[in-house]
Amino acid sequence: MVVAIGLLFLSPFAYVLWRNVDLGADLGEIIWDADTLHPLRRSLSLASTVALSSVVVGTGLAWLTIRTDLPGRRIWRVLAPLPLVFPSFVGATALLAGFATGGLIEELLSPFGIDALPSVRGYRGAWLVLTLFTYPYVYLPVAARLSSLPPSLEESARILGRSPWSVFRTVVLPQTSPAIWAGALLVFLYAISDFGAVALLGYDTLTEQIYADRLFNQPRAMGLSLVLGGVALVVVMMERSLDRRRQQIEVTRVRESLLVGLGRWKPVAWLAVAAFLGAALIGPLAVLGFWTWRGLTADVETIGLSTDLGSLVGPAVNSAQAGLLTAAVAVVVVLPVAWATARHRSRVAGAANAMVVAGFALPGVVIALSLVFWVIDTPLLSTWYQTLPLLIVAYVLHFGAQATRAARVAVDAAPRRMSDVAATLGASRTRRFVSVELPLMTPGLLAGAGLVMLSTMKELPATLLLAPIGFDTLATEIWNAGDSGALAQSSLASLVLVALSAVLTWAVVLRRIENY
Amino acid sequence: MLSTKRLLSIFVVFVLVVSACGGDETSDEGAASTTITVYSGRSEDLIRPILDAFTAETGIEVEARFGDSAELALLIQTEGDSSPADIFISQSPGALGLLAGEGRLATLDKGLTSMVGDGFSASDGTWIGITGRIRVVVYNADLVDVADLPDSILDVTDPAYAGRIAVAPSNGSFQDFVTAMRNELGDDATLAWLEGMARNGSPNYPKNSAIVEAVGRGEVEMGLVNHYYNLRALEADPSVASVNHFLPADDLGALVIVTGGAVLRSSDTPAVAHQLLEWMLSEATQASFAAETQEYPLRNGVAGPDGVPSLDGLAVDTIDYSLLGNGLTGTIELIRASGIEQ
Repeated sequence: MVVAIGLLFLSPFAYVLWRNVDLGADLGEIIWDADTLHPLRRSLSLASTVALSSVVVGTGLAWLTIRTDLPGRRIWRVLAPLPLVFPSFVGATALLAGFATGGLIEELLSPFGIDALPSVRGYRGAWLVLTLFTYPYVYLPVAARLSSLPPSLEESARILGRSPWSVFRTVVLPQTSPAIWAGALLVFLYAISDFGAVALLGYDTLTEQIYADRLFNQPRAMGLSLVLGGVALVVVMMERSLDRRRQQIEVTRVRESLLVGLGRWKPVAWLAVAAFLGAALIGPLAVLGFWTWRGLTADVETIGLSTDLGSLVGPAVNSAQAGLLTAAVAVVVVLPVAWATARHRSRVAGAANAMVVAGFALPGVVIALSLVFWVIDTPLLSTWYQTLPLLIVAYVLHFGAQATRAARVAVDAAPRRMSDVAATLGASRTRRFVSVELPLMTPGLLAGAGLVMLSTMKELPATLLLAPIGFDTLATEIWNAGDSGALAQSSLASLVLVALSAVLTWAVVLRRIENY
Repeated sequence: MLSTKRLLSIFVVFVLVVSACGGDETSDEGAASTTITVYSGRSEDLIRPILDAFTAETGIEVEARFGDSAELALLIQTEGDSSPADIFISQSPGALGLLAGEGRLATLDKGLTSMVGDGFSASDGTWIGITGRIRVVVYNADLVDVADLPDSILDVTDPAYAGRIAVAPSNGSFQDFVTAMRNELGDDATLAWLEGMARNGSPNYPKNSAIVEAVGRGEVEMGLVNHYYNLRALEADPSVASVNHFLPADDLGALVIVTGGAVLRSSDTPAVAHQLLEWMLSEATQASFAAETQEYPLRNGVAGPDGVPSLDGLAVDTIDYSLLGNGLTGTIELIRASGIEQ
């Protein structure tokens, strides 16, 4: 089973390898070239710093909203995962419109004598945009973990007079470290594979090179894709070796987690959270809202600029359907791998796990083309070409990593001891799984499902190539309208995407995470 | 190497599981009526009305997949002979040239290709130009003195323009322009021009629309783009400060970039596919392009849009578009070697 899943996830890599051989790509020459090494170095430094800042922000935000008496925490909890739903080109465009030279913020500030903000282009801009939109990869698993941690240790620490910061550092942090690592890895992989934000901000990374080469220099594009996959594999292996040395912390179901009193820090913490979410969520939403409003109220008579909410109903339903199905399938598919890696630590499971995770680093177009390659001329399978099930396979191959990291944390959260006790009491394997382990894993699995769902709903390149004809999603609507210059319609579709994501994340994921 | 069979059997199992979860396949093909499939790199709201009118007129159903021209070309390349597509419409001649080079495109009827001027179809008849847009220098009227605008695309490497002119080196239109320059001036002169742009630290953007937005808000003074993006930007916000500067008609910078159509060699219904291309080149459809998208209709005798230089005056026919596709690998190598990507 685990082997089978590993091979499924191996298929995009097998395709890239085959293309490299077929095109006669000289990998050595492609890699050991300043034109590759510089962008590679940029990709790696960007991804590392984004991962670091996302860890700080994601963990801090999770602790503040789950474990403290932060005012408005229930609302913050719903808002905090949402920046993940911005497709990165949409988020980057909106942020540029807001913060860049001559942008809306500068216009607002100019009466106060400030007429030039520091430039957000290049590395700084890419780092900022990616941090703002990827920290939920850390936030969600950490928040899920925190909400199911037993409060006993923290209570003891508090009773012994430790400050909130000290409790956080000595008790909470060690207990959440698996979730933090899981999130940091996802942020890293997202950042090395992102194209939308780095391209808009003019930071020349490896993905930019792949993009420029994709049509007319295919050997190099495929060679560089292999490099990207290779980097991902190395990082996964490194993370795994760290993982081995980590002690396992067992978790039990808890009635209510302890709330830490922030005391005089309350206003400061509230302002920090508000300012951050203001930049990551409210700001881009305001820009999109402004564009939509401008389009709706404009009296210019133009064709192709019509703004029509009704035309977005179908795409919204399609997006929701694709997101939910993919989330469910991804969790079911990766759970055996996560289980085998956590419980049996087998080599095979380790390899399968690495394949699943590394799939996240390949460009979406490559994943899509690999499925075209494997499916189109294969008897039985070819009838599925450009159908919804195959599109979902593509999503699962691309985003399975997000579920597997969370699933791994979830499996860790279900202590073997409890299952053993149940076994002594005569419970069958199935019964133990359903009544003991599954409930304990639920928060982690749901967090993973939520990440997959949000990523699927904004996925563009594979959707454009593999969706059944006429299966428009909100992401393709945003792209279509944006491509033809219909900014208002494109912004409106983005707003609908955010709203839909918020509702689904709440209904399917957050509401079911205990104590969230 | 892995056993393909094994992989495939896993796929079968997996796909079955997925479909069981999905459970909403549509297999209600009514047969009878003819259906053709279009892969379009041109966006949906520009193409869809034309396809709908074609269906209303002929009763032929058209299924259309919209996407990025380069990625759709990759899709057709990977699909090979099994491609569901009958027609490919591309924003850039480069993608068409690539597929023609791989023998994926059928030779079009002479009657069709003779509808457009000499420079606007492939010399081997594998694709035909439908509409065109012209390269311009877009500038911010608040920041740039009209006297400062370049008279020729060859002038923009002057140090006086350092850091002031944005480019989109990974964009298809820019690559087509560079290929045209190689055709005209040769590789050495083209590399020198690109290096001049690199020395000037020309800011990079991913695409035309991003440059027009940046010029509009004053982030950069000027940019090299296609003409109609600014017309759209002005429709969305008439107060925006970006203005198109048209280079002289005989300048290389006033290159016309063609949106072209082709029939795939693997098409089962090439005659119907031809019929649709003819529809796109009909006088009524061509006139609607000029009116609604402000592009140049390429059919002989159809008037161009208002407010742009006439196509007749442009020295376009000196450029062999069929060469644009094949030489693009070299173009990308030159662009990279110049260091303009930054």
